[in-house]
Amino acid sequence: MQRSKASVRVEVKQVIGALCRLLAATGLESVPTPENFRRAKFGGGLEVEDQFWQLLADILQTSSSVSCEASAQLGGATDYRKLVAAGLWQTGYHADWMYGRQGGEGEEGGEGGRCSSRDLLLALGWLLATGKLEILLTQRVQQLDKTLLTPTPVNPPLPSELQLDSASLRKLQWLVGCLRYQGRTLLSMQEERTRLLHAVVVASLPSSVSSSSDQSSTVLRKDCVCMQQLCDLLEAYLNWKQVEKVFWTWMDSVVDCHLTDPVVKRPSHSPNTGARVCHHGNRGLEKLEDMLLRLPTGQEAQRRGRGDVEDREEGRERLHGGSDSFCLPPPLSSLPCLPCRPQAYRAMLQTEKPVRHGRLPGEGARGGAENPDELPASQAVQELLQTEALLVERRDRQRLANRMQLQKMIGRLDQLMLIPP
Amino acid sequence: MSIVTVQLGQCGNQVGHELFDIICSDALEGQRKLYSTASCERFFHQTTNGELVARAVLIDMEPKVINQSISRAAKSGRWRYGESSHFSQKQGSGNNWANGYCVHGPRHRAVVEELVRREVERCDRLAGLMAMMSVAGGTGSGVGTYATQCLRDIYPKSFILNHLTWPYGTGEVIVQNYNSVLTLAHLYQLSDAILVHENDTVHRICSQLLNIKHISFGDVNGVIAHQLGSILQPALTADSHGVYSRNPLGELVSALTCHPEYKLLSVCTIPQMPSSSMAYSTFSWPSLLKHLRQMLISNTKMEEGIDWQVRPPAGSERTRSLTGPSFNTSLANLLILRGKEVYSAETGGFGDPALYTSWLSSEEAFNLWKSPVSFNKYEKCATLVSNSQALLRPLDNMVGKAWNMFASRAYIHQYVKFGISEEDFLDSFTSLEQVISSYGQLN
Repeated sequence: MQRSKASVRVEVKQVIGALCRLLAATGLESVPTPENFRRAKFGGGLEVEDQFWQLLADILQTSSSVSCEASAQLGGATDYRKLVAAGLWQTGYHADWMYGRQGGEGEEGGEGGRCSSRDLLLALGWLLATGKLEILLTQRVQQLDKTLLTPTPVNPPLPSELQLDSASLRKLQWLVGCLRYQGRTLLSMQEERTRLLHAVVVASLPSSVSSSSDQSSTVLRKDCVCMQQLCDLLEAYLNWKQVEKVFWTWMDSVVDCHLTDPVVKRPSHSPNTGARVCHHGNRGLEKLEDMLLRLPTGQEAQRRGRGDVEDREEGRERLHGGSDSFCLPPPLSSLPCLPCRPQAYRAMLQTEKPVRHGRLPGEGARGGAENPDELPASQAVQELLQTEALLVERRDRQRLANRMQLQKMIGRLDQLMLIPP
Repeated sequence: MSIVTVQLGQCGNQVGHELFDIICSDALEGQRKLYSTASCERFFHQTTNGELVARAVLIDMEPKVINQSISRAAKSGRWRYGESSHFSQKQGSGNNWANGYCVHGPRHRAVVEELVRREVERCDRLAGLMAMMSVAGGTGSGVGTYATQCLRDIYPKSFILNHLTWPYGTGEVIVQNYNSVLTLAHLYQLSDAILVHENDTVHRICSQLLNIKHISFGDVNGVIAHQLGSILQPALTADSHGVYSRNPLGELVSALTCHPEYKLLSVCTIPQMPSSSMAYSTFSWPSLLKHLRQMLISNTKMEEGIDWQVRPPAGSERTRSLTGPSFNTSLANLLILRGKEVYSAETGGFGDPALYTSWLSSEEAFNLWKSPVSFNKYEKCATLVSNSQALLRPLDNMVGKAWNMFASRAYIHQYVKFGISEEDFLDSFTSLEQVISSYGQLN
């Protein structure tokens, strides 16, 4: 058991090492060591944190998520970090620490959104998972391999009125075939060129050592270095791809760590900030899920509207008014549907007592009575009973009215035969 | 740029040998270094001793023909086949396509692929692969089809040309039409172009033009090889910018078979005559081209018996009923001129839009290759490779005969026992009917 754990640890370290080599090969300057990744998982010190700040900033800049000019203008470390947070936000990442207020009025350390190196590690995981690594790789390959052609979009002049008869279709098929053959010819030319280049390189390698001052040989040597780097880069990527799974398993453990570890400071939001943030790894989320599972199903009721209090009032008025006229009642479905209406609410747990509360769950507990959106359960029961009574009354009245109307109609039509249903 | 030839079955191995022989003697004749170098690079590789070794793989299920070809090539003293680039077995395919395609082909797949791969790796640049075979027998057609399928799998981006020899209409083999239908239907999906020589036509050339009394397979193969050589030898093309084209198969298929429904190519060459009378004959380009053009539109495969009454339809009467049934509409033509004063030849008659189908302009449909070097001792030589209705009638006959046999289920069990079901037959018939209908709709 012990040994296997140790071997797993070694493997993880190697895998992270592969990632580090790949990151370095893509041209990033400050890449933390595998050991620092481990330390970051357990909230390592300031030094580790700085390294990860730098790495995130580099990745965001190189992949042009944030502009280099913006970062050049900034002086202080806090500004720099703001920029990283902004870049992360642009890639779709959200975390508590990104919303922290900078300034002196906070409790400790002067920063509201204090983050640990583990948060930064998670952010790095996010960037890798969203494909930033591949973007960096592509950029680097384009830098190194100057023979790569970047396809330029061509808009061939098509006849404005494109006819789709069988003759033009056949002509198009012919032209497509022509293009396919041209493509094959180009491919074989490229293969031949590669072969010749290889022959030239092989032939010129020993001679380039002797004629060092020659200009063409320096160009060649530069190209050679580029090619070497390119090979290293692609090799690093291949190595990484083979072991990537292990890294993500480890990242899972980081996330677990992040969720359960009480040592890490939780960001303390003041209740007045009012920002609606989806808490990553918040325990509240689990609770909420739990609650949702226990709720009775029947979401279809939600489709019929929110069922706000004002709505209900309107409904009542409509009921009263409607009963006086002779016109047929509106279809039942358009009426407020009593038994299932409460399902338009979502349940929310409160510290003392459960409340029913409309719209999305906000954060923090507020007094249910003050908020017009929220409705205590007992009150809701009362209202429901009231409405039920009203509806029953209305139903009886409507029945009566119908009967009267029917009798009137019968009076007018003497010959009418009535066949019981 | 090199072409790797795969010779399959008795016919393929004999025609292939003739082709290499003609190409080699043509390339080495006289003082024409560029032409000779280009030709040799295309078809041979040189050993360290300077020997020319054909870029060819020989495959048959019987050893006899392969051994003959190898020893005759070695005897010629000019070129030879590679020592280990052949593969043969002791027992043939019994003229059964299914036996070749379902049994012999899969069984020897690895060996064949390895032989071809070795030849391909010897080329600086592979211009394409050419498989030569007949469609009537069992090995050439069945194993040939299977081998083409393997080549297509391994070299999806290479040009593959199939050269097929069609059997005599009167029949050498009772199930030749079955074998032909199965081969053609399968190759239509695999090959980029299918170049066809009909034994009947070539036989007539031998008897009427070359005045051969007792015609042997060797004579027939010689004519086929001559026509093939005049297509495949180096030439100056529109894309080659004043040097010999380095992409012969690619340019051939780009000129003729861009449309996937039209892949059948026929060939006619002018002049053809016994070598004894060549010394007393003179040719002029206008007369040669006039004859060749009339051969094209009247669908005559040789100089003798050309119907001069056939005329291309005028623009107004371009409908099916008015065009005489004898007029041969082309989809695309490639004219190859070799010999003296080739640059003065006037080829405008082949660019006439009336020769071509309405949906392809004659600029795209007509291509011209030239070479100032005379070919195979002919002072002037014009070859026309045509994607036209020329093969429509023989194909229709072939499919019709096969269908009649199939309708009475004759010999079907011989195919079923090797794994070719009636469904497979029906599929093949359907796809060839489509080909026939496509060619029929050209005019």
